[in-house]
Amino acid sequence: MNQTRPGPVQYALLALLAAAFLYPIWWAVSSSLKPAADIITDPLSPGPVTLDNYRAMFADVPIGTGFANTALVLAVKGAMTMFFCPLAGYAFAKYAFPGKNLLFGIVLLTLMLPTLVLIIPLLLEMSALGWVNTYQALILPGSIDAFSIFWMRQTIAAIPDELIDAGRVDGASEFGVFARVVLPVIRPGLAALAVLTTMNIYNDFVWPVVAVNDTSHQTLQVVLSTLAQNVTGNRIGADFATVWGELLAAGSIAMLPLLVIFVLLQRHFINGILAGSVKG
Amino acid sequence: MSALTTMARSGRAAGARPRSRRGTRLSPYLFVAPFFLVFAAFGIYPLVFALQLSFTRWHGAGAATWVGLGNYAYLLTSPEFWASLGNSAVMWLLIVPIQIVAGLAGAVLLANAKLRLRGLFRVAFLAPFVTPLVAMAQVWIVVFDEDYGLVNHLLNLVGLPDVGWLTSTAWSKPTLALLFLWKTTGFAIIILLAGLQAVPAAVYEAAAIDGASRRRQFWSLTVPLVRRSMAFLVVVQTLAVFQMFAEPFVVTEGGPYGSTTTAGLYLYDHITASDLGTGAANSFLLVLLVFGLSLGAVRLLRPKDEVS
Repeated sequence: MNQTRPGPVQYALLALLAAAFLYPIWWAVSSSLKPAADIITDPLSPGPVTLDNYRAMFADVPIGTGFANTALVLAVKGAMTMFFCPLAGYAFAKYAFPGKNLLFGIVLLTLMLPTLVLIIPLLLEMSALGWVNTYQALILPGSIDAFSIFWMRQTIAAIPDELIDAGRVDGASEFGVFARVVLPVIRPGLAALAVLTTMNIYNDFVWPVVAVNDTSHQTLQVVLSTLAQNVTGNRIGADFATVWGELLAAGSIAMLPLLVIFVLLQRHFINGILAGSVKG
Repeated sequence: MSALTTMARSGRAAGARPRSRRGTRLSPYLFVAPFFLVFAAFGIYPLVFALQLSFTRWHGAGAATWVGLGNYAYLLTSPEFWASLGNSAVMWLLIVPIQIVAGLAGAVLLANAKLRLRGLFRVAFLAPFVTPLVAMAQVWIVVFDEDYGLVNHLLNLVGLPDVGWLTSTAWSKPTLALLFLWKTTGFAIIILLAGLQAVPAAVYEAAAIDGASRRRQFWSLTVPLVRRSMAFLVVVQTLAVFQMFAEPFVVTEGGPYGSTTTAGLYLYDHITASDLGTGAANSFLLVLLVFGLSLGAVRLLRPKDEVS
């Protein structure tokens, strides 16, 4: 917009804003690395670095199980999204077939369905199926989501028809055209979809906390929230500081994977966020 | 349409590749089928079931009793239901206006073409958006603790008394609103920045030549042109605020004295209480409300020259 060189005031404001966004993360990570007692007595200074909070946390909290369950859900649910959503998007972008507008209208309609309305009925369905505390309950609902289909349709619509026809002429099957012509062309879009899907599944909380209540199936976020409830429910006690230390250690270690992915793949990530705003 | 018509136009003999043509006719249905299967099983079925459930009294076991509109009537006359909507409405007021203003300010600061380190600032602003909400909610518990938290520690350093950030009804909502703002304002900045950058620089140059001041340019060019992005943000955040669940669930468990029992958390309370018919009715009332609010927001923020 305005093309004058930004002055020191502008940089100062930006730096202030950046500090406000980064400080809570920095505080949590640095506090998790200092002696638990210091978190309470001296919350400001970093203090000597120790891994005691992490040792205590790994001993007390089933965080390894949480990570493993999240990884499993992420792998299967993510793979379903990454395969079926571009496939459906391709059909909506590049085929003419009777009922297409109606079907796509349904996809768009489900975009507006608030997640919350399905929680109770889904939970009842899971208990009727005997699926409470199972991986399929965590994986299947929402595994092929309307937004990703919509987004992939927009991305694939931009591919020239000639390219797809050329694939057909070469004798590829309909699925072959999708796999060997369409997918390679939309690689940047797929990368953005992958990053965004990873974030959504990794951070998902409402459905996992409802669908699963035994420790062996809890995802990472549910493990974290159980820990937090222990803290708020159990304020008094000599090892209060220890619990805080464990809490911050668990939180820090849970943040790490996504922050690393974000910093490494920020371009795809930001593309993903912006793709979402196009539907508005 | 394009694939078929191009094939027809290119004049290839229809009978030459019959297998492929039948494949062409069937394959789009096969390609979209998985979505509709999953949606039917975990979308339509539970929705229909929930609608039916919302007219019954049922506690998860035994036979359901038909109560007609009883659950709806109960909710619409229940102080707790209205209190949960009121809590969410206050949250909305504490979050959405501030986020739009702060988001616009951040976006304007970042939009300058000659800005250095833009990538770095963008990463810093978006970092909270990437962190798991539950993990940051834990950090909030610790930072805003009345007795040992960082914030009160800082207040004491400058001679101010402790504040019950999470334990007083006056502060519990602003403290949770701050968590929401901290986490998602970077997202707002990125969305609005994209809106700003869609405005061609030439438009500003023309305005400057016409003698429009910087402030004038902001109000009569920038704001109308980012209206679309603003409308998107307001709709998305209205949906998010009225469904807000994890923040109060983890940080305050809806307290103190129900002051942070948002509409989303109140819905969950029906599950805990095994009052599933009421819960289903509550879901539908909430959906109607959220739909109405988003429609209203879209209407209000739509640029005046757009009709549909």
